[in-house]
Amino acid sequence: MKPMKNTFRLMAGAAVLAISAAAVNAQDMSAYPPLAPLGDPPIPLDNPMSDAKVELGKILFWDPRVGGDASTACVTCHEPDQGWAFSDSLSRGYPGTVHWRNSQSVVNAAYLGQLFWAGAAASLEKQAPSAAKGAVAGNGENDVMETRLAFIPEYRERFNDVFGTEYPLIGDAWNAIAAFERTLIVNDTPVDRYLAGDESALTEEQIAGMELFNGKAGCIQCHNGAQATDENYYNLGVPPAERWEEDGLAQVTFRYEIFAKGVTQDMYRVLHDDPGLYFRTKEPMHMGLFRTPPLRYTLYTAPYMHNGAFWDLEEVVRFYNAGGGENDFTDGTMASTKTPLLHPLGLTDDEVDQLVAFLEAFSGDELEVEAPELPPYAPLDAQ
Amino acid sequence: MKISRFKSGLAPTLGAALMCATVLSGPVAAQDTAIGPVVGPEINEARAALGRRLFFDKRLSGDAAIACATCHQPENGFADGLALSLAYPGSKGFRNTPTLINTALAENWFHDGRIGTNLNDVTRESITEDYMMNMDMRLMQERVKQDPVYVQMFADAGYGEPSNGSIRKAIPEYLNTLISHGSDFDEGTMSESAQRGQELFEGKAGCIDCHYGPRFTDDQAHNIGVPENPEIWSDPMRHMTYAAFASFMGVENYMNIRQDVGAQIIRHPADGSDIGKFNTPTLRELVYTAPYMHNGMFKNLSDVVAFYNAGGEDTPNLDERVRPLGLTFLEQQDLVAFLEALSGDPLTGPEYVWEDPIPTNYTAIENWREQTN
Repeated sequence: MKPMKNTFRLMAGAAVLAISAAAVNAQDMSAYPPLAPLGDPPIPLDNPMSDAKVELGKILFWDPRVGGDASTACVTCHEPDQGWAFSDSLSRGYPGTVHWRNSQSVVNAAYLGQLFWAGAAASLEKQAPSAAKGAVAGNGENDVMETRLAFIPEYRERFNDVFGTEYPLIGDAWNAIAAFERTLIVNDTPVDRYLAGDESALTEEQIAGMELFNGKAGCIQCHNGAQATDENYYNLGVPPAERWEEDGLAQVTFRYEIFAKGVTQDMYRVLHDDPGLYFRTKEPMHMGLFRTPPLRYTLYTAPYMHNGAFWDLEEVVRFYNAGGGENDFTDGTMASTKTPLLHPLGLTDDEVDQLVAFLEAFSGDELEVEAPELPPYAPLDAQ
Repeated sequence: MKISRFKSGLAPTLGAALMCATVLSGPVAAQDTAIGPVVGPEINEARAALGRRLFFDKRLSGDAAIACATCHQPENGFADGLALSLAYPGSKGFRNTPTLINTALAENWFHDGRIGTNLNDVTRESITEDYMMNMDMRLMQERVKQDPVYVQMFADAGYGEPSNGSIRKAIPEYLNTLISHGSDFDEGTMSESAQRGQELFEGKAGCIDCHYGPRFTDDQAHNIGVPENPEIWSDPMRHMTYAAFASFMGVENYMNIRQDVGAQIIRHPADGSDIGKFNTPTLRELVYTAPYMHNGMFKNLSDVVAFYNAGGEDTPNLDERVRPLGLTFLEQQDLVAFLEALSGDPLTGPEYVWEDPIPTNYTAIENWREQTN
């Protein structure tokens, strides 16, 4: 890696200069889109909502036959009672594997324009097949998954009703799942109610936390707008996943991902940390960058960060208070892309508590949905 | 060629073609058409040993639930004893598992003969196909690299570090070791009944028209009118696997047909003239590989011989050579005795079976951050 090192440093340095010019101190926080009530999610024109489509999508979300060995459904890694995510640092993955990143909540994903930690999917309709087909996720193939649906009479009826096809098409399954996901909305949290004018919705401690969020702590620089994310990409210096060092199965998956995502032979040999956005752009200045996650519903979605490095919100806040951390893309070994927005915040213990209390007010009640009954296979009569 | 009597009008053409092949290819081709012992390829022991371990390793399937040996079982002649095969979890098979014994010498593979290149491609197809092992070969490579035993074995085999490319070389090298030997036919110890059966085989019954050479196959596809296996269409998990396969293979009207179209998927002739054709199977090791035919419709060799004796089932594209044979009951028994005499020693010893436990989990690489991947 020696020859690459200087190049990375130069390019990353240039990026740092560019960002530094725009760096803002605590007084200029008003430059960012303010937090706002969430409102209703956008509905794409090419996938309009209907009750029948949402109901179909809900059944499909629970159906493990939409996957390789009929064991792994969407819900397998997005469990309603685990914040519609998965409560481990790395998601569970397909049988025989472990995933390599933390499972994100589906709740309020409808508002996002960039799905996955490095933004690899631009819509829920694109996210679903990617998850259903990846070797360490669903490991399904279109032809098998589509054909399975055709042998389930209830699906034939429901797909015909919603999409007008004689037999289910797998692309329509993704549309239905996306429509269901657009109903997984929590937009009446204490924060929403407070921002809508109900001053009693937040406690004094939470209001103090909000002021820190918008001021001294500088969270608003990235976690802004109604979704509390700018959907931009940063390297915070989140440390590499410990599990990669300790768990052979996780090491297999890590190498698989860097192999499958297509890096150079040299890069494959030396990577020991997740280069994030780099996989998509192949720009060295993007090594170790991940999309700002939304802060809503986080009360239920521990652990946190792209690799689940932190187990509770206080740990997250203390990480920021220390000015972020170090990883393989902060120290010049591979790159130096840590965002200059991070610096020690000097928050007191009380202020840390206030910020955590405010973050907890972003979540509201837990979203519960009753699991649907899965319709059975049946022989297909000749036409 | 020991064709003592041709059974159909096509035979002279076949004979001419064979003579022609002999002229073009020299004496080796002539030898290949004669029935006699099977001579296997040279073996690289280190590579074959590596292939043997891979063959028995479940980590070569997507969810690490099945190995090659799950369906190709040594004690069942490297088939599985079932009419219709198992499949990757979540699917069920729609054809009978073929034996792998002598497969190293075949010219094309799978019952429809869809792969006609080499065992490297057959290995790839079997490992990656959704309803077989459903494995992303990039993940397979990284799994194998995580096992220190493999790292050593790949190095010893001269392959360098483990890669999916050399996995697809090592497994065929192991398959090269699965060669028939020790049958009564090869050893010259056949019973009188079996000897009478051989005369029928080469004469009145006309079997040798298609079942010739050391493996007793012409490696061609024919329609012999085997009835459809109704279980494929009554069990949705088999039917859906066939439908997914047929869809992928570009079979027209795949949701409505209730027939395994066989070799039609290769050239898709517009007149459907390849529908229902399946590759001539080897007749070696039949005593271990019941039930028979591409869809396992016949439970034993007597049923198979009785089927041929009746002239097959009347279907379009039925090969002209399949017609009532007029064999007596005793002649049929003799023919069965001959077929049984083509089975040799079972390939169940340690040179064919990986007997050490194969781990199902992965040891962490120590000082991982300091190691190159």
